[in-house]
Amino acid sequence: MFKSTNLDLFTFPFTNFKNKTYRYSNDLVALSEDKVNFMKITPEYKVQIKRKREMLEEQPEVRYQSFPHTMEMQWEFVELLIDLSINKYPEHFSVEKDGDQWTFTNHILGETETFIFGDESSLSLEPYDMIGRHFHNDFMLMVNRDDNFYLEVAQESFAALFSPNWNLGMSFNEIHGPVPFVSRDGVELTDRIRKFLLTIEPGAPRTRVNWNLMADRWDVNYETMDIWGPERDKVTAENAGKLVHLRVEEQWFIRMPRSNAILFVLDTQFLPLEDLVLRPEWLETTYFNLADIPDYMAEYKGMAPFLPQSVEYLENLMNSMKVK
Amino acid sequence: MYNSPVLYDQSETIKEKLSFNDKRKKHLIIYDQKAAGDVKQALTAHSQEELNYEPFEIEDAIKLQDLRTLLYSQKMGTHLYIASNWDHAATVFAEATEAGFTEDEIQTVIYGPKRRYIYCMKCYHTSEISDGDEVQCARCDAYMEVGPFFSKVRKGYIGYPFIPN
Repeated sequence: MFKSTNLDLFTFPFTNFKNKTYRYSNDLVALSEDKVNFMKITPEYKVQIKRKREMLEEQPEVRYQSFPHTMEMQWEFVELLIDLSINKYPEHFSVEKDGDQWTFTNHILGETETFIFGDESSLSLEPYDMIGRHFHNDFMLMVNRDDNFYLEVAQESFAALFSPNWNLGMSFNEIHGPVPFVSRDGVELTDRIRKFLLTIEPGAPRTRVNWNLMADRWDVNYETMDIWGPERDKVTAENAGKLVHLRVEEQWFIRMPRSNAILFVLDTQFLPLEDLVLRPEWLETTYFNLADIPDYMAEYKGMAPFLPQSVEYLENLMNSMKVK
Repeated sequence: MYNSPVLYDQSETIKEKLSFNDKRKKHLIIYDQKAAGDVKQALTAHSQEELNYEPFEIEDAIKLQDLRTLLYSQKMGTHLYIASNWDHAATVFAEATEAGFTEDEIQTVIYGPKRRYIYCMKCYHTSEISDGDEVQCARCDAYMEVGPFFSKVRKGYIGYPFIPN
């Protein structure tokens, strides 16, 4: 299980916390200049890339899906990722272009990708799959058609309750329907976000932070529900600090200038509850937020079986710190 | 096209009984023998209204070539009515959407049972299921809860895997 070790790079989710009462916002906000580029190399980079690649190798059908007609968009994605990575981290990534002959170098991993831009026969993987394996994010490419967005390419290793295999070809509204364990009445909200996505323009991505709690597992997809569903019951107030993780999903919505598609990028980060002691103000804020979660939301987020234990753990932790 | 509509048991086009859409210029009615009596009755009821309609009866088996010729020769403003058993309806529906009909332009009345399919999230196999909320995959035997969501690409409901007690 990964955890963020540099807390300056961890996106603490409860920033709209006021008066010790939980407030939830789904708004997609504009990004400050330094956040427009989603690239982020953390101390966990190598271990995350290793795990992501293992999953793609072991379960290609589960982790990567595309339609054959998406190649042009895939190359646009390759160019975008290379540009963003070099822009933010010129010391880690570089590219040499000799006409259509491109050589991309990942200096952290000491790897080189050489290919003819626009010619997928020059690669052993699909272009999107190849370049996506150099970055720890999940990437979903949604094509804009008839005022909706349809998932046409997806590379996913960390997203919760999402499956490239199941969600391929679905509209934005269809993808946001399936939440297991409880029937979800989120139609209005989903439609509001869909309409907002229509207004996103190239060069001005939007962002949103989603959060959840995970019980001893970061990989919670439909394919393994039979395993992690019951595991949520093993959390106690004693072991919650190690087992339960605050799971933060920082999302970027980027309009692709040529294809007009929306690229949906996820940066999923995990922090075990016990590590909240490293930032006492986070510990207190998290405690008050979790203690105030309405039941329906705990159900819908799938945390109902272990939320009370987690709150109790945090309360005990705060009390023990006060005693010291 | 991958996002073409697919006929499934909860399709919006499925209605309890035939009812003509009076905003359309022409009514194309494709039916099989099970529905023949009802179709004739509906047409008789509207006989005073100079309904512009074209009936097409499916005899024992669908002749695909004839069906395609019929569907492709239709003009804008035609409303399609399918009244038949499930298998005939599924064939006509697929051919009609291929020929350019949208779901808004199709009404379907099913005679007899509707078929239901599930997509196993363990082995990615689509199989037919009977009624009930919990089923077993026909290929890998995984136990699945029948989810409420349908994929047009996978042509089935999502099957959430679970381990029985």
